[in-house]
Amino acid sequence: MEKIYSDIIKETCLKYTSESGVTVFMLPMKGYSAATAQFSVRFGSQDNRFSVNGGEFMDIPDGTAHYLEHKLFESEEKDAFALFAQTGAFCNAGTSFDYTQYYFSCADNFTKNMEILLDFVQDPYFTPENVEKERGIIGQEITMYRDNPGWRVFTNLLEGLYSVNPVRNDIAGSVESIAQITDKTLYDCYNAYYNPSNMFLCVAGNFDPDEVVRICGERLKKRPLLSVKSAPFDEPAAVNKKRMISEMTVAKPIFEIGFKHPAVDGIKETENYICYNILFDIMFGGVSDFFRRMREIGALNEEFSVGVFSGRGHLFPFARGESPDPDHVLEEIQKEIARFKKNPPSREDFNCIKRSTYGALIRDFNSADAVASTLSEAALADTAPFATIDTAAAVTYEKMLEKLDELDGENSCISIIKGIKGENQ
Amino acid sequence: MNRIELYFHTDYDVGISRADYATAAYILTDCCRKIPSYSALTRHLANLYDAGLSSVTVHGNWNNRCTAIRGRILDNRYALDGENLEAEMCGLIADCLLDPLTENGVFAKDVTELMKTELIDTIDSAVNDKSTYAILNANKTVYVGEALELPASGTHEQAEKVTPESAYAAYRKMLETARIEIFAAGCSEFSDAERILTENLKKIPRGNICKLSAKHSPLKPQTAYVSDRLPMKQAIVRMAFKAPELTDWCAASMLTVILGGMTTSRFFENIREKQSLCYYCSSVFNRHRCVLTAYAGVEPKNIERVQKAILAELDGIRENGVTDEEITAALLDLDNQFSTMSDSADSLIVFYHGQLTDEKILNIEEYRERYHAVTSERIREAARLFSLDTVYTLSGEEE
Repeated sequence: MEKIYSDIIKETCLKYTSESGVTVFMLPMKGYSAATAQFSVRFGSQDNRFSVNGGEFMDIPDGTAHYLEHKLFESEEKDAFALFAQTGAFCNAGTSFDYTQYYFSCADNFTKNMEILLDFVQDPYFTPENVEKERGIIGQEITMYRDNPGWRVFTNLLEGLYSVNPVRNDIAGSVESIAQITDKTLYDCYNAYYNPSNMFLCVAGNFDPDEVVRICGERLKKRPLLSVKSAPFDEPAAVNKKRMISEMTVAKPIFEIGFKHPAVDGIKETENYICYNILFDIMFGGVSDFFRRMREIGALNEEFSVGVFSGRGHLFPFARGESPDPDHVLEEIQKEIARFKKNPPSREDFNCIKRSTYGALIRDFNSADAVASTLSEAALADTAPFATIDTAAAVTYEKMLEKLDELDGENSCISIIKGIKGENQ
Repeated sequence: MNRIELYFHTDYDVGISRADYATAAYILTDCCRKIPSYSALTRHLANLYDAGLSSVTVHGNWNNRCTAIRGRILDNRYALDGENLEAEMCGLIADCLLDPLTENGVFAKDVTELMKTELIDTIDSAVNDKSTYAILNANKTVYVGEALELPASGTHEQAEKVTPESAYAAYRKMLETARIEIFAAGCSEFSDAERILTENLKKIPRGNICKLSAKHSPLKPQTAYVSDRLPMKQAIVRMAFKAPELTDWCAASMLTVILGGMTTSRFFENIREKQSLCYYCSSVFNRHRCVLTAYAGVEPKNIERVQKAILAELDGIRENGVTDEEITAALLDLDNQFSTMSDSADSLIVFYHGQLTDEKILNIEEYRERYHAVTSERIREAARLFSLDTVYTLSGEEE
């Protein structure tokens, strides 16, 4: 059992690899009532072509990871929701671009909840009938997201930024793509990706670590460890499209701008994430002259925000908001980047935003759910559990300037949703 | 992390518009005389380790308006230079609340114009989120003639008429007549918060204080059916059931959980899982107005089917009550929520704020006991008191 201590938050994370091969992270939190456990698989919507143990690559329909997540709750006996209902725990699951996660949060019956979680994730039950039954439900989920301008502007941006990176495909797929999913598709993916070597269990809050070790010893199945590989792709450095535009019912055009950046893994990704967050906050956030100016002329409002979107194989800083003229916002942002390249931000600004970033990350250690998520993100990214906060504490002004040098303001895509029938053009 | 929040409950009066109050609240957390710009205030908050200061105007639980000024701050133990973060936040709240940026005895013109524009943007952008749009438009019928008929922040037309004078008048009236409740939750003793806020708030001349009283929403003589259209693929259905005579709100809350408030609810199991009609079908209960709302997102062709299915589930409980297993599952679900509540400052504030007009403010354990006393018979009786008041649907344009 490895003990990893954080001098910043004064907590210790325990890490070990179970006999089954699943990596386990635990962070007991004194004074809390709730415990949260997250069982994650490195399998998301972007993993749509894979090979096992060096074999031939196999293609699967878009939306398969999400479909599998829905169906895993079902079993031949009682489904997982019914079992959790007997303990009172809150349980759910989510599929992202690069992982799938099953989790519960509870104040009581921790042992029973752990057993249910580990059992149902390791016990798939897919039949032609139950797979068919889910198609209508997921179809409605897809439709719900398609009606959401905030989601559409984001997925259009991914499509504009990337030419071949599968992150450009919608997480839930389309009504057409999920029509191709069968029980066999789900078993093929389950057997490949839901392998102990590709799974992580993260637990935080009010629990006894010895109990977790005992349950894992009893419940995690020992299966031959496989090497599953998602197909590599050769993503060009330049954006796929400079401008994406769609029409929906919106009061004012909404936009999202992404700046394409080469993807890196592990701690390098964490560094990029922190540095670009600080840099974009300084250049365009609430403290910036840019935001003050644009707000005063009505080009932006308080909906405007900046950040960094990152995951396995993708990272880009972004700016999003609503504006009567999004193209003008992009022009001004590009001018501002060029200006900062000539006259870099001050150390005072850097220190101010670094302090703010530190505070925001401390806040992430404020609940069992948030801590479990922090651990899961680190596990999935193959970094140390406190990597993000440690990186934020250690980041230097010079490191941030390196990122400013790397940033190509012209290699960007703007995604716009404007009103229907020329309402907001 | 600590939360320090001030709630100002005011009446929906005539003369000063809802938009005036909402604009005033925006102004108060945008800047103040000491920190006279948004960027300077943001910088100040960033230096306080990403502290947060925000305001919101919503419908209160008691047919009144509730303006909240919300502060969020790290606990002092995380301050790198030994700062008293709690005192800093309370000082900032006092500065923003009592010493705003003014010109000629009213709010400064520039900031008023900016906040007015942002309020208009917020009101207009409700159409972006179809669920929010459906709630706001359904409310026009569900609460016709009541305070909730219109949004708490007012309408676009009202916002257009806001001036520095009218917003300032709303601000003064809020300070002088609101019932003010202060909540502090987190890991501090909050002695600094108590001292600083008490010292500052006692400077305000006060009188004619807003009185809070619960008022159940009246049931229409006939069910109202309203259909709205927007370009969209999925239809949203909202069905409001009212029970003005209801007193047993614990039983009604349990009914809501069993109907559509958990993953083994009747809506989830029978409407989503068995009939595959929708991705979500849920219910929510407003105990202060005694309105139970069922809502779902469905294919337009299934609108009637889902309405019938929702009614059938409620009818089933009216006729046969609920099972012991359902009561146990609902109690376990609620117990879990109560037991984890003390981990969250936000949840604790919501919990106690909801009890402001109750005869006795209950702690979490006492609240839990009330639910455990609910029987199947009480749930059936509660279900029988609810009648369908409004059916609202929002769907795509007709082909």
